[in-house]
Amino acid sequence: MIHLKDVHKTYPGAVPLHVLKGINLDIDRGELVSIMGASGSGKSTLLNILGILDNYDSGEYILDGRLIRDLGENAAADLRNHLIGFVFQSFNLISYKDAVENVALPLFYQGVSRRKRNAMALEQLDRMGLREWAHHLPGELSGGQKQRVAIARALITNPAIILADEPTGALDSKTSVEVMKIFRQLNDEGMTTVIVTHDPGVGAQTNRIIRISDGLILPDNPR
Amino acid sequence: MKNPVFDIDNWREITATLSRNKTRTFLTAFGIFWGTAMLAMLIGGAQGVRGLMMRNFAGFATNSAFVFSNNTTRAYKGYQKGRGWNLTQGDVDAIRKAVPEIESISGVTQNAGAVSYGAKSYANGRVQGFTPDYYGIMSPLLLEGRLLNESDEQMKRKNCLIGSRVASELFGTESPVGKFVQVNNIYYRVVGMVKQRNDNINIGGSMEEAVIIPLAVMRHNYNLGDRVYFIAFNVKPGHTPAELRDRIRRVIRTRHSISPYDDDAVPFWDISEEFEQVDGLFKGMDLLALFVGFGSLLAGIIGVGNIMWIIVKERTQEIGIRRAIGARPRDIITQILSEAVVLTTVAGIGGICFAVLVLTVAGKLTAGADGTDVGFQLAFSSAVAILVVFLVLGTAAGIIPALKAMRIKPIEALNDN
Repeated sequence: MIHLKDVHKTYPGAVPLHVLKGINLDIDRGELVSIMGASGSGKSTLLNILGILDNYDSGEYILDGRLIRDLGENAAADLRNHLIGFVFQSFNLISYKDAVENVALPLFYQGVSRRKRNAMALEQLDRMGLREWAHHLPGELSGGQKQRVAIARALITNPAIILADEPTGALDSKTSVEVMKIFRQLNDEGMTTVIVTHDPGVGAQTNRIIRISDGLILPDNPR
Repeated sequence: MKNPVFDIDNWREITATLSRNKTRTFLTAFGIFWGTAMLAMLIGGAQGVRGLMMRNFAGFATNSAFVFSNNTTRAYKGYQKGRGWNLTQGDVDAIRKAVPEIESISGVTQNAGAVSYGAKSYANGRVQGFTPDYYGIMSPLLLEGRLLNESDEQMKRKNCLIGSRVASELFGTESPVGKFVQVNNIYYRVVGMVKQRNDNINIGGSMEEAVIIPLAVMRHNYNLGDRVYFIAFNVKPGHTPAELRDRIRRVIRTRHSISPYDDDAVPFWDISEEFEQVDGLFKGMDLLALFVGFGSLLAGIIGVGNIMWIIVKERTQEIGIRRAIGARPRDIITQILSEAVVLTTVAGIGGICFAVLVLTVAGKLTAGADGTDVGFQLAFSSAVAILVVFLVLGTAAGIIPALKAMRIKPIEALNDN
């Protein structure tokens, strides 16, 4: 599903910052993996490259059989829309759209009709146990509910992979457990999921922990 | 992606965005509203003021001129300077023949005359004689009956038109038509009552204080022979009185043995030149109106550009979220431009409506006695043109912020706080 070979990334500046120093990584379809590392280790940069949110300088990245390299803005947007579902630490819901509109938004960019995308969004919210909250704004939802809405949004395009950046970082421990339960359920259904976290408790609930340190992946640690 | 114009979510989003900061949206919209209203009011207002001024020329052909006679100022062909002479009906006929560019021409005569009806009399009256051609130059407002016609002239009928003030003095509210009035001891049958279309131009006194009779009758009854007091004419379209002046003077000088260099003996009053001056003033006013109007419009548009810039800054993170979940750059541009266009269109239409309301009130306040509007109006085509200009400029104002939004990298936007 994911294949990275000798991927390098340097941020330019007065003092260029070489963040990724030759990442080699393979993640198979249906895996639930966590990427862990200290602050500044390069884990978020790696996630951004995996999510086609950022470019890499050299190496090779293949996602679901496609070489991700030198993509134009439109092609990158299309791949993000069709292949990847994002879940962010701070939920990143649009504040003036209700839950169903937030979930349906990726389908808007696919040109799906309003009726159909809202029906699909309701289905996803139902799956997350949030049907009765469908027409509430994010400001009216709890942290756990917001993250479930974000997961529903990530799932609505039936992506090849879910990328989650510290998905429990803004949640209390009880809600974190609930959210991780959802990720495990999704994984049981065959969804490939990559979670970036610094929380060992979250890492412990994944099938594989990828540790990154100083821009390099440490030897694999399958569970 | 399907056209966002037909997606209700897109419209709800625009409404939601614009209504989130109501005060700011209102102030921006007010800038556009006021810019549009100012431009529309200045265009319609300039037209109205022009109409008001043109009302001073109402009933008066603006392409007309008058020829008078004056004592000669040069000796010529054995005649001493200072010789008096008179214009004649023969001059009128000769000019008509020699200058085919003339549309209508008439000799005009007038005399003081006490007018009476029964026991009532009007001492300040005048009796005026001209041919029906004169209506082409000075068109009276017919209040009742009919005007004098060619048949009255040819048959030398003792018919007359009575000025409204004379009629009011002699007949009160009674209709004067068909009655006989006495002018300098001669009876004339009233066939119509007239008044001037405006009080600002009087050639030989106000028509309202006159009794008008056929020119041939006047010359006969007042022993004027062939004499007329002055000659009035207007020109055919595409010509000006000024270009005919020398030829007309030449005809008259030749007929009356006046020096070819004696312009003062044949005074020529070209009313079209005065009209041209007024017209030039209004062209200047139109330009000023456009300049000031476009200035206001530009201020409104810069306001839109500013506000869109702030909106993009505020929504950087949202734009990042959208980009992350699949929005293409053109989707972001469409979204930002839609907001600019909607704001501009709604406020612009409001401004046009307000301007039309103000112009309508101005039109009512300045309407003539007969209810005619002087032209405080905005042509539909002008309104559409203003809106189109506003829309184009509004879109242009939104383009720079939209391009900025498009260039935002999703990762940078998501990290924006």
